[in-house]
Amino acid sequence: MREKNVPLKSEKIFALNLTARAAVTVVGNPVTTRMESGVSNCFPGLEFDHRNLDRRFFPGLVFDFVSSSDDLRQGARLMQVDVSDPDLDPSTFANAPEDQPDANAQSQLATALYGDPGAALAQGAWFIESISQGGKTISLHERAVGRPPLDGRPAWRLVRSLQPGPVRIVLVRRPTRQGERVPAPRSIRLSGWRRRFVSSDTGVVSEAYMPGELSQSLCSPWMHDFRDCACTYWASNHPDIVLNEEIVGGGENPVTENPLTAGTPIDWLRSDRWPARTAAAEGTEGQNRAAQMDHYQINRRWQDLSIVLGGREVSRIFNAREADTAKTFATADDLAAELVKLAELEHLVSLEYLYALYSVKNPALVKDTALQNALTFVRHELLGIAVSEMRHLRWANQLIWELEHANLTTKPIGPSLGIALFMPGGPTPRRRMLNGLTKETLQSFIDVEQPSGTLDGAYARVLATLRQPKYSGLSLEQLAARIVADGMQHYSKFREIQVILKPYLDTNPSAYLQTPYQKAPVSHPGAQKALKMYAEIIDDLTKAYKLGDMEDAHLIADARRKMFDLKAIAEELADKGLGIPYFQDDNA
Amino acid sequence: MTQLINVTGPGCVSPPPGPPPRIHLIGGERPLAFLVEGSRLFALERDFFAALETGDPGAEQELFAATGAAPRQPDFDSRLPEPAAISLNISQSCNLSCSYCYADEGRFGGRARLMPLEVALSAIDKLIDGARGRRVTLGFIGGEPFLNREVMYRSVDYALERAQDRGCTVGFSVTTNGTLLNRTDVSLLRDHGFAVSVSLDGGARVNDRYRRARGGASGFQQALRSLKPLLDNPGKARIAARATIARDDLRVAGRVNALADAGFIEIGVSPLRTSPDASLVLKAGDWPRLLEEMIRAAEEEWQRILRGHGFRFSNLATAMKQLHAGSAKPLPCGSAANYVSVSATGGYFSCHRTIDDQRFALGTTAAGLSTVARESFIKSRHVDRQEPCRTCWARYLCGGGCHAEVLSAGRGGCDYIRGWLEYCLRFYDRLLQERPGLLETSQRRPK
Repeated sequence: MREKNVPLKSEKIFALNLTARAAVTVVGNPVTTRMESGVSNCFPGLEFDHRNLDRRFFPGLVFDFVSSSDDLRQGARLMQVDVSDPDLDPSTFANAPEDQPDANAQSQLATALYGDPGAALAQGAWFIESISQGGKTISLHERAVGRPPLDGRPAWRLVRSLQPGPVRIVLVRRPTRQGERVPAPRSIRLSGWRRRFVSSDTGVVSEAYMPGELSQSLCSPWMHDFRDCACTYWASNHPDIVLNEEIVGGGENPVTENPLTAGTPIDWLRSDRWPARTAAAEGTEGQNRAAQMDHYQINRRWQDLSIVLGGREVSRIFNAREADTAKTFATADDLAAELVKLAELEHLVSLEYLYALYSVKNPALVKDTALQNALTFVRHELLGIAVSEMRHLRWANQLIWELEHANLTTKPIGPSLGIALFMPGGPTPRRRMLNGLTKETLQSFIDVEQPSGTLDGAYARVLATLRQPKYSGLSLEQLAARIVADGMQHYSKFREIQVILKPYLDTNPSAYLQTPYQKAPVSHPGAQKALKMYAEIIDDLTKAYKLGDMEDAHLIADARRKMFDLKAIAEELADKGLGIPYFQDDNA
Repeated sequence: MTQLINVTGPGCVSPPPGPPPRIHLIGGERPLAFLVEGSRLFALERDFFAALETGDPGAEQELFAATGAAPRQPDFDSRLPEPAAISLNISQSCNLSCSYCYADEGRFGGRARLMPLEVALSAIDKLIDGARGRRVTLGFIGGEPFLNREVMYRSVDYALERAQDRGCTVGFSVTTNGTLLNRTDVSLLRDHGFAVSVSLDGGARVNDRYRRARGGASGFQQALRSLKPLLDNPGKARIAARATIARDDLRVAGRVNALADAGFIEIGVSPLRTSPDASLVLKAGDWPRLLEEMIRAAEEEWQRILRGHGFRFSNLATAMKQLHAGSAKPLPCGSAANYVSVSATGGYFSCHRTIDDQRFALGTTAAGLSTVARESFIKSRHVDRQEPCRTCWARYLCGGGCHAEVLSAGRGGCDYIRGWLEYCLRFYDRLLQERPGLLETSQRRPK
């Protein structure tokens, strides 16, 4: 006999080939609908027009919120009676009993819509007259008698504020022209419920919405609106600023043509598409306007606009690198052991980058504007990369934790907060080292982050392993995929730093480097304070990662607070030409 | 409840009589379930697999509920579109005299002849007119097509010109013994990206046993000499070797290795089922041995794959591609539907194997291709209408076997096909674990 308490289906049946994968019902909305899939940047961008949700707030009916100068036409107008609405079918809620409306209400509403009221509603112009919920009734007319009905926008606003749960509406039939005699019935009262727009079980948008329905009112690339939306608010397929195409050569060893071009934001809507004339985007929309496609051009040339993936224009077949062919780990123990090493590496690179960061002069103390800009850029980007590596440290630990708690590993393995002894990259790994941001140090950072180099290559193996069916229940792929993608960005960023510092690297490093800059002796009071703070942070993180409470844990919050304190101490020490001696065995 | 699950362990059994099975269970270290409709493959947790094996109706119901509906089958009542591929049998004559040749040295049992140019051009007109902007493929077969070089060259030029006029693209293929290629031929094949299928059975010794030039010279040496420039620099062409396996030597791996050494990067084999020389045709007792040999060759391929190489054994590569895509077809091939063949005198036939066999005649280039004949042929060949196919779990993977062979020689190797497919399903699972990238990236240029 099989156990009564059967595990989830997802732990029993694993789809292998494409038709099998296509047939399995996957929990959640498609990845393309998620906020992080949008390419929009300056303006938020719309994944969908949420007014379209409210058009079907009342099951079985579809409304339009009409604004018009004609009193007869404005308001919440009924467009369609849709008896195929899945909310009217009790079996829709078989897997989500908490979303199930009251069975009586469901059957009564279905009966009404199939019966005479439904037939009457299919004729003539019907508008919502009033809405009742929780003992309150709101009229969709202005209060005074004889006043015109509310415009579509306030009517929509009122519908928007309904809560999921029982709702009663009154619909009235209006004449379609002045003086027309409206036949009976002139008013119909329906009891129903405010639709739950997403399933509380899966988060999936209600199946009442047809494909394309939620985005139907957004502007399309071939429309004037796509160029200048009246509310500068457009579909998420309209980015403002993107990064230029980066990869030349393709294949397994793509070459970055020019790190500056690759890292320079350009205007997506630029009219001159000739690559050699592509210039950096200006800082404001107004400044970019002259170089952008005009209305008549967007109508005709919208297909010249580039596809954007990961914030970057892509004109050839997109090659998702490495992860496709990477070798998988045989067991979850092997995978976790690798993650332990990777976490140690993440920890090491964070420290090396942070140490190097404070070797760069404080821009506030420099007079030359060009140098000041360069210093600001370098410090900002270095800090960004270091923080990103810290996030990876946490993600690597999360991966370990998830593997352990799914009982995929045979023994407890994490957390991993050690510091690696050797740094990969270059021809041979080098001993870990705390150094200022000299030319050589910068090159060694570039080597580490090089695509298909050591670090992202290792994650590609992790990713390939996590794509195996046995890990599919854990949904960890995304974490590993983001680490791989970040690596590519770090590489570009370091190369940009290299270009920005080019005027100084060889001939005049003292222009941008603190001189002297060296490790503070351990006995130095500032160093002692910093190291104590650092030890506390690691202690907090160790405990937090052990508990596995990865979000909102007070320990993580504590550690974060202490990181800000540590940053302040690091700045103080840097002003004295000293760096925090995170480790002492590097002979530097 | 009716047992609709088909279970096999190692080896295989003939399909049981009764309703068509919907699931095929494959036991082993990692149990698999193959859902016949939609060719969907699932890995199962062991206890759940065990429940299915014992016929637990709850488990079966759970499996179907979890896996959803199968993709829809093609609609056989809708009208057939015009074929997008034809092959022109431009030379019903051959310079070799292979003892097993189904085409009877290209004569297909008839007189040796060459296709006149006007027949070729008329067939090309009909192909391109019917394409309505789709990509079309024009194939040249024989006999040995390079014996009618002029018609081939002029057909290529004409097809390109007509395709440009009608806004469609055209691809080319040729099946050749490779012995007659000159420098201009090599350029033609390179420049127009021909899919070149070379009939060679293995290394010199194996090949020359049956594939001898008239007069007894080595067909293998002759072919390699003339193919060398193309193998060294294929340009846009794609070259594959195809070996025929006769019953007196069922070995596969050796052939694949020998042809790979000769410079081929895609090598396929096919067993001999019909031949003018009946003593070479595979018999019932040969199939289990052939299966062993196929598996041995595939295991060698597996070792290469683990070392980071791509596929070269195309029987396996094609199976992987189709299993990955979940290909489920009620017919074995596109013959008579998407593909027809034209005889030297301008007769349409269901494929290159059935030239001049009136059972498979579908019209003439003069009178036109008969859609009614094509539709009725296809309907009659639907695998769900064939016995014993109807109750076989592998029916939508196999499609019921080559029409030409089945109608001439019956269905002999079904256990072999099921055994090979079951092996391939296991192989697919391994591949998905170890080298999933091979399934997702293009396999055009394996290492």
